[in-house]
Amino acid sequence: MYVYDPVDQQLVEQRVAQFTDQTRRFLDGQLSDDDFRTLRLQNGLYIQRHAPMLRVAIPYGLLAARQLRTLAHIARTWDRGYGHFSTRQNIQFNWPKLEDVPTILAELAKVQMHSIQTSGNCIRNTTSDHFAGVAPDELVNPLVWCEIIRQWSTLHPEFAFLPRKFKIAVSGAEEDRAAVGVHDIGLQAVERDGVLGFRFWVGGGLGRTPMVGHLINPFVPWQHLLTYLQAALRVYNMHGRRDNKFKARIKILVKELTPDAYTQQVNEQWQLIKDGPDTLTQAYVDTIAQRFTWPDYDTSVAGEPDPTEMHAAAHPAFARWLQRNVRHHKVAGYASVSLSLKPTGVPPGDITADQMEAVADLSERYGYGEVRVSHEQNLVLADVRRSQLFALWQELRALNMATPNIGLLTNIISCPGGDFCALANAVSIPVAEAIQRRFEDLDYLFEVGELDLNISGCINACGHHHVGHIGILGVDKNGEEWYQVTLGGRQNGAAKPLPDLASTRGGGAAIGRIIGPSFAREQVPDVVERLIQTYLRLRDSDAERFIDVVDRLGIAPFKENVYSDPAVAKAAPAAREVAHA
Amino acid sequence: MLDIALANDNTARLIRHGHLQHNDWRVFAPADTVNAKPDSDAAPTPVDATAVVPADEPGWIVPLTIWIAHRDALRQRQHPVAVLLSPDSKLKDLVGEDGHVDATGLAFIAIDFPVYTDGRGYSLAQLLRTRHGWQGELRAIGDVMIDTIHYQARVGFDSFLVKPEHDPEKALAAFRTFTVHYQKTYPKPPELLAA
Repeated sequence: MYVYDPVDQQLVEQRVAQFTDQTRRFLDGQLSDDDFRTLRLQNGLYIQRHAPMLRVAIPYGLLAARQLRTLAHIARTWDRGYGHFSTRQNIQFNWPKLEDVPTILAELAKVQMHSIQTSGNCIRNTTSDHFAGVAPDELVNPLVWCEIIRQWSTLHPEFAFLPRKFKIAVSGAEEDRAAVGVHDIGLQAVERDGVLGFRFWVGGGLGRTPMVGHLINPFVPWQHLLTYLQAALRVYNMHGRRDNKFKARIKILVKELTPDAYTQQVNEQWQLIKDGPDTLTQAYVDTIAQRFTWPDYDTSVAGEPDPTEMHAAAHPAFARWLQRNVRHHKVAGYASVSLSLKPTGVPPGDITADQMEAVADLSERYGYGEVRVSHEQNLVLADVRRSQLFALWQELRALNMATPNIGLLTNIISCPGGDFCALANAVSIPVAEAIQRRFEDLDYLFEVGELDLNISGCINACGHHHVGHIGILGVDKNGEEWYQVTLGGRQNGAAKPLPDLASTRGGGAAIGRIIGPSFAREQVPDVVERLIQTYLRLRDSDAERFIDVVDRLGIAPFKENVYSDPAVAKAAPAAREVAHA
Repeated sequence: MLDIALANDNTARLIRHGHLQHNDWRVFAPADTVNAKPDSDAAPTPVDATAVVPADEPGWIVPLTIWIAHRDALRQRQHPVAVLLSPDSKLKDLVGEDGHVDATGLAFIAIDFPVYTDGRGYSLAQLLRTRHGWQGELRAIGDVMIDTIHYQARVGFDSFLVKPEHDPEKALAAFRTFTVHYQKTYPKPPELLAA
């Protein structure tokens, strides 16, 4: 866990004072709606369908137990007793009052938290691998680099008013769990001749115009990370489009300039600052690393008697949970446990204040008082002794957080949708629930195997539907909700070994393809069912996952099977025009 | 921008050297293009906007296009003009072959913020300071707010025309909004600004 030094603390407190003043001026009529809008957005405050929504930053998804308790306190005192984890490792409160927000921010500052740059056209929360620091396949712990980027990007004077929002992700492992290919900038740690550096991807992103990023530099040595970022941002700040918000993301600039021309401009800017005072030193990196409290692993744990297999043999439900929700840890005798926030009937990513407090307690009793938030909207206890897995599972079951569905179809990633969000064209939470109900049978769910299903309530793609193996997008036609289905998206390239850099384009991410006309809400579970049946019929073996079959055979057989369904065909004519809306 | 630059509400809203002053600078725009009445049916007479220069008197800020067209003559004036950059101005049009801005006969450089959310002016200022050797006065005008001048000071602005709806006294205090910063190559607002 990163621990603030006095400068970090002072900066957050001064930001609270600044925002308190801005809010007061707005409420007193000294600050117009227009002037206040961007200022409040830069502090994570949206005006939503029912009330303001406050998005609190969880830098790179790392939370301390006491922070989680403060979030629970906020949820109870100023909200309605729950919070919602977003797909970018942050937490959102849907019901605060504007006049309470300064007080909430002051509470957050007491536990080294804030909502700085969680919205607005600025550099957002840097995201990372939720198994950072504990994954066996890690080259470098990305959290230190994330924190360096967090500090650099916080209240950056030159880049506070970019053409559009800007999202950076960092991966330090072989398998890219940070989805570097679909971020404005994705950084992937690599080693060359014993020196650490980063592959620098630019221009990925979802939203209205989904694109996979371009590799503009295969190796930026670590010393140059900040100067290279500064150059990349400066070219974007000066030349990104500001005339049309739908063309303002960096991906459009890179496409319109061509990646080569963009890269050349970045290099020109870089030459001016390369080796300058922003060059990182080992001493600085060490200083940041030393401000983290790192788990003090007990090496004798490896030799402990481990009753896990015995319990698994006696409890099939525990065995299932082990299979899906428990991962190997880099230290023998430990494991990383995912807490599912996707039980059927609960909006994906929602968590009650009681659950938050319970998880805070568990993190202290079963780990080092740390919790991770995954971009899949689940929580992770990263450092659990294997010998304690059974006891932890029993406690999690009582909290309804032990659904064994990590990586499976019902682990649906979803935005809050039209029930909450003013931008949404359609609801997403009820659709997620209807799908979960259809696939409640665990035997069947396990038989289907790994499958990412993502739902977004509108083209802004907060549910990352473009990178779902199955993606579902809510669209509006004449005030009616329809749902478009995509297949074959993925957030990284883990499907097969990637022989060279060219084929790791965007870290292997892919954008899903639309299968055809949209569907009515009540049809969506049937459509998913047809897609699954098609997959089960076509797969070579149960080792071939859904996404692998889509890769091998394309979307045609799936499409054919869905639209040949008489029930679907009946609704299709009405839906047809929607697909082109 | 123009309205603001010309506004005369008897309030000292120019921050310069840590003090509030009355602004006596205004942006020059060729009369024919400016005074065309919006409710007139007659199309404005097309004129070459760069053909005319203001009289040699104190307080003129000229757009970059006019500066480029007449800079040799303008540099000779008894009353130096300032040059105005817009967010999409190209700095190469302002700098000499040596990559530096020649300060001869140039009062200051102003950068316009048509809306405060247009952040290009921040990069322009930073480049003028760090790449093109501009050590003279650099003024932010337009949609300049209590809430922006702290950032603007850090990228190199040293004078600020605070927009009419914003209390200039509060703006002056805003240089001290933050006393700590992360970006070490962007200085904190110089003490003299907040004097």
